[in-house]
Amino acid sequence: MIKLAAHGVAVGLPAGWEGRIQRRQATAAEQTTHAVVHLANFALPEQRDDFGGGVTTRMRAADVFVVLFEYGPESVGKPLFAARGIPRVTADMFGSKRLQRPLPGQLGCQRFFTAGGRPFCLYVVAGSRAYLPRLVAGVNLVLSDLDVTP
Amino acid sequence: MTTTILVVESVVLVLLTILVAGLLRSHAEILRRLHELGAGLDADDTDDTDDTGAPGVSGSTRTRSVDLRSDPAGSFVPAADIRGSGLRDDALNVSIVGAPHRTLLAFLSSGCLTCQEFWTALGGDPRALELRDDVRVVVVAKDAQEESVAALRRLAPKDMPVVLSSEAWSHYRVPGSPYFVLIDGPAGRVRGEGTGATWQQVATLLQQAADDAGDTRREVRIDRELIAHGIEPGDPSLYRTAAQIAQESRSPSPP
Repeated sequence: MIKLAAHGVAVGLPAGWEGRIQRRQATAAEQTTHAVVHLANFALPEQRDDFGGGVTTRMRAADVFVVLFEYGPESVGKPLFAARGIPRVTADMFGSKRLQRPLPGQLGCQRFFTAGGRPFCLYVVAGSRAYLPRLVAGVNLVLSDLDVTP
Repeated sequence: MTTTILVVESVVLVLLTILVAGLLRSHAEILRRLHELGAGLDADDTDDTDDTGAPGVSGSTRTRSVDLRSDPAGSFVPAADIRGSGLRDDALNVSIVGAPHRTLLAFLSSGCLTCQEFWTALGGDPRALELRDDVRVVVVAKDAQEESVAALRRLAPKDMPVVLSSEAWSHYRVPGSPYFVLIDGPAGRVRGEGTGATWQQVATLLQQAADDAGDTRREVRIDRELIAHGIEPGDPSLYRTAAQIAQESRSPSPP
């Protein structure tokens, strides 16, 4: 496992996985930005939107793309983020209607949670249903080695 | 009077002799140091010199033989993924070993003059790079403590990963910039490394590396087909001449 850490998020990546932990640059003085984590079992393109724009169109059937998107502290305590701790995913959580950008064959999954007192959205795009069991196992392996510090 | 002039001339001559001897010695020392750095004057001298015709890299150590096609001395290090920081307060890991493509690591710096050519080429029209589809270029600069991140932001190609990782420079034993390492992802091995003065030189070497790999694959395929038909190494049929084959084809076949 290769350990990647920045902005209070640390994740262990299995062989063949890529990762970026970044924080978008504020476009206004009063604006604050938060951590965005992109993980994938394929080569991540440099031009990426937070939720996979520019990425998912390049995915093949056996590819999986994981986003961990942090919301602002005002979201802490809201019902949407009531779940505590890093979630795990199962195959039945995935569906073609859960994608931000629907593409043929792809399946999506979205979970909201709070970890380390920080509110997050976990968004996963799987390349195909045929590879879903293997992809789910890979994502859970990565999530098992994900740490968020307050 | 004549004696005085002769004495003065003799002293001047001695001084000039000492001066010339000193200059010659200094010149010899400079040549010796240059030779140690691999910048020999003899164009035919191939001992550790650059066979691309490229200038020496801007490092303090000697460059290894420049050949993106082979590893005759078995000196290539094992391939490894690249981990480091990005140019926008980010951390990143680039997968190389096991990736389904080849990766060309471009070790560049913001300050080296020769690197400017490569920054310009990599930031320009991707088609002009003439890279095959299975080659991904990853630019590797040194850590922020040893680099100008502001300058790198200006130079960085927008569609290629730029990783700040002195660890990678150390792992791949990069002698200086610019320097290129070609890695075969599925095999997890370094296939070649070296430097060049222009992107065109590097692209040509990449093409040759691809052709060499194609030759190897073709050879393996032919061997498999021959073995499948019962023709193993050393089989006499492999050593027939064209004349023998023509003679056999003219001979009447047995009833």
